[in-house]
Amino acid sequence: MKISLTVNGAQRAFDVHPGDTLLEVLRREGYKGVKKGCGAGDCGACAVLLDGRAVNSCLVLAGKADGSEVLTIEGLSKDGALHPLQEAFLDEGAVQCGYCTPGMIIASLDLLTHHPDPNEEEIREGIAGNLCRCTGYTKELRAIQAAAEKMREARHG
Amino acid sequence: MGLPSVKEFVRPGTLDEALELLRERGERAWPIGGGIDLVLFAPREVETVVDLGRLPLRYVRENEGRISIGAIATLREVLESPVVRDYLGGVIPEMLHQVASPLLRNLATIGGTLVSANPWSDVITLFLALGADVVLSDGKTRTIPLEKLYPARALRATILTEVRLPSSARESAAAFWKFSRTAFDVALLNCATFVRMVGGRCVEARVVAGGTPQLGARLPRAEACLVGSGLDDSSIERAAEAARESADVREDRRASADYRRELVLVGVKRSLHEARGRLAGGER
Repeated sequence: MKISLTVNGAQRAFDVHPGDTLLEVLRREGYKGVKKGCGAGDCGACAVLLDGRAVNSCLVLAGKADGSEVLTIEGLSKDGALHPLQEAFLDEGAVQCGYCTPGMIIASLDLLTHHPDPNEEEIREGIAGNLCRCTGYTKELRAIQAAAEKMREARHG
Repeated sequence: MGLPSVKEFVRPGTLDEALELLRERGERAWPIGGGIDLVLFAPREVETVVDLGRLPLRYVRENEGRISIGAIATLREVLESPVVRDYLGGVIPEMLHQVASPLLRNLATIGGTLVSANPWSDVITLFLALGADVVLSDGKTRTIPLEKLYPARALRATILTEVRLPSSARESAAAFWKFSRTAFDVALLNCATFVRMVGGRCVEARVVAGGTPQLGARLPRAEACLVGSGLDDSSIERAAEAARESADVREDRRASADYRRELVLVGVKRSLHEARGRLAGGER
């Protein structure tokens, strides 16, 4: 079957098997920043924004995304400039092996888009579906707080 | 490939169209809301996926205090809806914050959750305590208590279109309690309680325990300890004790039956104290 998606702002048409997941389609089409971890919705490595909300792309059937907007980690930087979340993850050393990072940043983007000024508990809940086995979450927490501040400043000038 | 047996993915725009597809394709067709359980537990015989995501069932509404939630509303949409924010002291968002992760709540639908009937479901435990009804359609529409929905697998060519919550009467309160190993894990056990008071006496009570590890079920013996009482400490104690004795707890790989029995006692007691506190706090 054919589906059309807007991926990172670009209109794309894909030929997919009706049983494909969105994760499989995206990786096959070269969006390798979307990671396959558990394949069962537990780890969050495959998170993408689907019409503005972060989901586990391993659990979304591709047909369900037909006509939707998808944002992957590849679509976050603008004109070569990193997104404040990406910068903050680098600055705070919130990346070790890096496998969870794309999903973690996508989940954080959903959080900060809808809750620009989250407290620590809200941040922890915001990334509750994203497993990181390296860092212990403290550095991600700091990175998300720093990014939230930058994004608020950018918004208010 | 996610689901190799699937040959067809269809997205009907109307309920009639969706029902027609389910009737035509029979057991090889599978309706989905978010589709999570289909991907996770894919039965081999599924050839047609009927995505209900385009049906006009994505809403959370209030009418004279009664709340109607369309089957396609995601858990996230319900969680963030101003309509449920203050219902019975905010017990619905309180519960939903504890369900899975934001990623999964963005995908999971209320209808899918109720029909999938995963035994650890927090939503089902609370909605049973709230006295929810569900609207089913197989061409004709009928409304039944949520309790009568199970076992849901018996549904054939039928779509759950809406869940309804009764108007929250004055002097009523509810609370939800969950115990799990991590914030993200499914419940080792969950409890929900609802009480309605008239003139300081409890006239209606529902006590539910779920993830026992069976699906949430009411505990009539515990409820009987509350009705007629003033919800004093000793009647709460008796109800919790009755819940422990009467809950059908069993062992699975997550916990032993003995451990769960103690969890029922603690969960029912804490949930009832919380509900009583909400009454005292003047919340409706």
